[in-house]
Formats: sequence, C-alpha cells, structure tokens
Amino acid sequence: MSKVKNWQLGREVEYPYDESRPKRQWAIIFDLNKCIACQTCTLACKTTWTSGKGQEYMFWNNVETKPWGGYPLAWDLRILEKLGRQDWGKNGEYLGKTLIEAAPPTERVLHYAPTDEDWMYPNVGEDDCAGAPVDSGGHVQKLPHDEWMFYLPRTCAHCTYPACLAACPRKAIYKREEDGIVLIDQSRCKGYGECVRACPYKKSMYNPYTRTSEKCVGCYPAVEEGIQPQCVVNCIGKIRVMGFINPPWKAREDNPIDYLVHKKKIALPYYPQLGLEPNIYYIPPIHADPEYLHQMFGPRVDDAIQAYKQLVDDPVAAGLLCLMGSSDRILHRFAVEKGVAIGYDADGAEIVRVPVTEAIYERSAFDAGRGAARHNTP
Amino acid sequence: MSHWKIALMIAANLALGALPAGCSDKPAKPAPLKELLVKRVSADLSKADPGAAYWAQASGGDVSLLAQPMVSPRPEKATTSTLSVQAVHDGQRIAFRLRWKDPERSEAGRLGEFSDALALEFPLQDGPLPPVMMGAKGMPVHLFHWRAQYQRDHEKGKPTIAQLYPNVSIDMYPMEFKDAKGGTEAQAEAFSPGRAEGNPQSYSKTGVDEIVAEGFSTSSVLEGHGSLAHGDWKDGEWSLVIVRPLAIDGGSKLAVGGKGNVAFAVWQGGEGEVGSRKSLTMAWTPVIVQ
Ligand code: HEM
Ligand code: SF4
Ligand code: SF4
Ligand code: SF4
Repeated sequence: MSKVKNWQLGREVEYPYDESRPKRQWAIIFDLNKCIACQTCTLACKTTWTSGKGQEYMFWNNVETKPWGGYPLAWDLRILEKLGRQDWGKNGEYLGKTLIEAAPPTERVLHYAPTDEDWMYPNVGEDDCAGAPVDSGGHVQKLPHDEWMFYLPRTCAHCTYPACLAACPRKAIYKREEDGIVLIDQSRCKGYGECVRACPYKKSMYNPYTRTSEKCVGCYPAVEEGIQPQCVVNCIGKIRVMGFINPPWKAREDNPIDYLVHKKKIALPYYPQLGLEPNIYYIPPIHADPEYLHQMFGPRVDDAIQAYKQLVDDPVAAGLLCLMGSSDRILHRFAVEKGVAIGYDADGAEIVRVPVTEAIYERSAFDAGRGAARHNTP
Repeated sequence: MSHWKIALMIAANLALGALPAGCSDKPAKPAPLKELLVKRVSADLSKADPGAAYWAQASGGDVSLLAQPMVSPRPEKATTSTLSVQAVHDGQRIAFRLRWKDPERSEAGRLGEFSDALALEFPLQDGPLPPVMMGAKGMPVHLFHWRAQYQRDHEKGKPTIAQLYPNVSIDMYPMEFKDAKGGTEAQAEAFSPGRAEGNPQSYSKTGVDEIVAEGFSTSSVLEGHGSLAHGDWKDGEWSLVIVRPLAIDGGSKLAVGGKGNVAFAVWQGGEGEVGSRKSLTMAWTPVIVQ
C-alpha cells in the first residue's frame, strides 16, 4: 500500500499504487442549480457510445433525482452505510476512513455488488420531493426549501485514485498519462466485474454480450481533438463545462476549472470522503437540504453556496458562467474584459467571445418597413 | 501476507488432509491423494465422458483445497474444500475426472452472475518447478480452464441478449435492420468493443480455455490444442472430465512412463467467485503416467 496525497481530503490516503498524476486531468463542472433533467446528455452519450448488444441497460451518463433516485438502485446509500461514520475535522480534513482504508484484508476496496435488478430502474424517484410530510400541501415557503429535490447528472469521475483500477486483478484498467481519462482495455478485460463491485459511483458496467466491463470513455477521441464530451456539448441547460483541472498547488486562475474549483471554491467533488479524488465537480443546489448537501459534498458546501450567491457582483465569475455551453471546444484559458468573456484553446488562440450581459434592443411593436407586427416568439 | 502465514495455512491444509477416515461418520473416503497414478485404458478418449465405465477402475484420491490466500480480492473461506481427482490415458491423451460439491449449478449470463469453473495447472517447461501460484516470470504455467458457461456456449450456443432477458425490448441494433440490408459483420461488431478487439472472452470457444501465465495477473488465453471438457451437475455435485493431449508442442508435456505435476483450482459461481476468488491447492501433486 502506498500513501498518496488527496487534496480533497486534506490528507494522505492509502492506495495500492504510487501517486502518479497525469500531465492533464480531465474534469467536468456541473451547475446543479440549472439542470432540468431533460436527459439530453444521457441520450447524447447513449447514441454515441452504448447502442450495441449488451449495452441496452447502460447509461454512462445518467441523471437522477436526489434524494430518492439512484442508478443503480440506492448506490449511494448502500456504500455510505457500509462505510459507517464519516467525520470531518475543523480544518476541513477528513477524519474517517476511505473505501480503500476500510477494506477488509481479503478485499482491495470496501464495496457492495449491485444485482441485475438494481440496474433496471434508471429513473426511479424522478421528481419526488423530500423533506415535508406528504399532506403538507406542497408549498415551498422557506429558503432553503423545506420540501426539496435536485437533479444530479453523473458520468465517470475519471478519479485520480480510481477504485476500479485498484480492484482489477488483471491490471486491465489504466489511467491515461496525457489527460487522466480512465479506460478499460477491451482486449485484456475478462469480465471478472471487480471494477463493477469496487467503483462506489457504479460507473463501471458489465456487458453480458461481450463479457467484458465497460465504462464512460470521457469521449477521449473528441478530447484528443480539443473538443468537449458529447454529454457536455449537448447539454440543453448549458450547465456543464469540461476542461482540465490542476491540483491546488498548481492551480492557474485563468483556467476555467481551476478558477471555479480552487479560486472561487464554488464547485465541489461529490462524496469526496470515499477517497478516490473524483474529477467531476458540482456547484451545489442552493435551496436543497443543507444536511444532505453536507453529506454529499463535505463541509465546504456552505461556503460554496454563499460564494455562488455572490457571483452577481463578480463580473469575472459571471463571465465564466456565460462561457459554459458557449463552445464545443475545450477552454484552456479564459479572460473577462469590458463585459465580454473570452475563451482560448491550448495554443492561446481565441475560440469564443460572449457578452456577460446580453444587449437589450428596443423596437417598436410595428415594423413599418415590412408592414408587419413584431412579436417575441422566435 | 507474510510467508509464515502461508506456511501455516499449508501446514493446516496438510494436517486436515491427514485426518484419519474414522473421524467422520460418512462412508470411508478415498485416501488423500499423494500422487496421481494414471493407468492406460483402451478406450476412446476423444470424448469427455464423466459417466464412462473406465472411471470405476481409474485410480485417484481426494485433494484438499483452501481459499486463495495471497492476493486480494480473495475469498474469506474455501467454498470448495475437497476435490476428488482421477486420471487415465490412452497413449495420446490424458483425461482427468474431477468431482466436487456445489449446491447450485451456475452458468453465468446476466449481470452479477458468475460461472462454476475448474482449472488444471501444469508447468509449461521442464526444469525447476514453477511456483504453484500461477508460475512466475520465466517460469510459465499451462492452465486448462473449464467454465460451465463455456460449456453451455459450446454445446448450446452462446446465449443472445433476448435469451438472457426474455422480456427485453429492442428497437434495433446498429447496422442490423429488420426490413433493410444491414452493414457487414465487421461494421456491426464495431459496436461491441470486446469483440472488435478480438478478445477471446467475447467469443464462444471449445468449453475449456488453454491459458498461459507467468504469475498472477498475467494470464492470457492461448490458441487451443484440441483439449476438451464436459461436466454434469447432479444433486449438488459436479462431475467433470477434462481431456488434453499428453504432450503439447510448445506447451506442457506429459509422457508415458514419465512423471509430471498438476495443481487444481475451483470456482463457485453462485458464491460470486471468479478470477482470483477461488479455492485451490497450494502444492503440486505428482502425476505418474504408467
Ligand atoms: C496462491 C495462488 C494463486 C494466486 C495468488 C492466484 C491469483 C490469480 C489472479 C490475481 C487471477 C486474476 C488475474 C489473471 O487473470 O491473471 C487469477 C486468475 C486465474 N487463476 Fe489463479 N492464482 C493462484 C493459483 C491458481 C491455481 C493453482 C490455478 C489452477 C490450478 C489458477 C488458475 C487460474 C485461472 C484459470 C485464472 C483465470 C480465471 C478466470 O478467467 O476466471 N490459479 N489467479
Ligand atoms: S442535458 Fe444538461 S440540463 Fe439536461 S439533464 Fe443533462 S445535465 Fe441536466
Ligand atoms: S468513477 Fe468509478 S469507474 Fe470512474 S474512474 Fe472512478 S472508480 Fe473508476
Ligand atoms: S464523457 Fe462521453 S462517454 Fe463519458 S458520459 Fe459523457 S458522453 Fe458518455
């Protein structure tokens, strides 16, 4: 067992292999305040990657309603319950055990094995609220809401310390040096399903036709071309941005991902206490139950929500949020100048330019030139 | 795991195997197997037949298995503790009959299901014996790996998704259309990564895989050499025959009048066993081919 640095937990954690961070680390940020569960992302991934035999049930990208939804069924409850207490210290350091530290000597990762049936209800609990008694009338009268729910879109987190990789006895899973994407070698995998058992997020899936395990490939062919993944570029709500994250000691303020995660600290990893340093980050939903959010995002969630609420007064951050969903290219750098947000590619060339505040045009209700009445429907 | 612990486990294993038969109230059991005598039979061994008459005369005995003790993931306790072993040969081929208790027949197929399985292990080269734990770098082993799943594929065809999930509803698969000409097979296979990569695991084979390994984590499936297998499961017991050529060019070799070595591993699919989760022998059993 090696000791490796996990910045999300503010301490070293155990891992079967040495620390070896990739040159760049793939990451997605999701603004959960904006997701509408339209599942366009899910279908974009499905039609791109999992239309084949044995993949019928697979959703490498899925969107579930929290707290009731889960694909597979109750994946989060079941692993959290198994892990037991998960306490955090005063300085944001994690005091509990990670899944690898809590594993019995016979296992590499503390886990539960999902059954066939667990995968059969991808949309269970959709739109169901929690918090208030059923007969309360459904009124939302307080902030944060006493009746609440939110949508949680999920892909593989291309973890810095993947549990799937740690658990594979054939060493068929690898993390790419160039972008940190975690892949299963389809010519070596023998379908033991150790990764399916071990991944706490349940993002490794068994294909009963090919008898190998498969997972989100981070849309690596697009990423290699400087293009963001399918589930990102097709997002209707423009709630996502994909880019490359640096560890905090190498963070760059003009990198969109570093800016939101490290500088503004408004985007947080989910269930960081599991210990894998997952690389999908969420801007937490500001009106959902604080205790639940604390469990999911850790002790920094209250600060993240406060910071998010203040973004209206921050032209740079507001500009960056405007860049989300504005280009299919990967933004390596951004700048906000004179009310315009600009995104740049890896070579520093400009990709996209958007106004932080849309210009307002006033026109008379009747277009005399065309002899027609104007209305607002496009 | 430290070496003394393993040594202890082996010692415990041997001690267990040495228990006098009188200790149990079951009918007298065959003696623990010290070495496997392989008699010649004038029978047709080109078929794997666990019910053949010659097994009544074949010599053999019981080997004790323990839970794979060295690398995680591994079982907490041995799910198969005793394996009955017999063998015969016909001058060309050697057949092993293996019997063990397994409360349910598991052939895998759907998600989260695993197959019952057994493997025979032989040193691949002459010279010093490789470590029984799947060999070591430069000391390869030759494995014959039977799975109930592979047997079903071979005898009844690899099940389709609709056979595994009778209520499945599928509009269409890429490159396969109901009322129009689809793509080529290769174009369709491109949507099945394991098959497109030519992974043996994604195809139906002979029922028993030949595998070469130089230590655990390194196993890879070889082109077969005509070995075959058939197992019958009845009343909570598997009775399996694996037949292989005595000598395999570039592979493990046994010779009439010679001596070899074999080791065993058993997987209980119903207990979620696969890969490194198995019961096994931690020592080689000598094989004397008469
Ligand atoms: C302490 C001893 C052993 C250890 C630590 C061990 C470990 C492992 C590991 C880690 C794997 C999975 C990785 C891979 O596919 O290479 C594996 C697979 C395998 N082992 Fe072993 N092994 C041991 C003994 C044996 C013995 C004695 C046999 C046969 C008699 C055997 C036969 C196999 C076979 C056939 C596979 C492939 C299984 C499958 O596809 O389901 N092993 N073993
Ligand atoms: S496409 Fe975007 S808005 Fe729609 S469900 Fe997916 S993440 Fe949410
Ligand atoms: S989310 Fe799961 S499948 Fe993806 S890298 Fe992490 S452990 Fe592996
Ligand atoms: S990154 Fe690509 S493969 Fe992964 S979930 Fe999104 S669309 Fe699917």
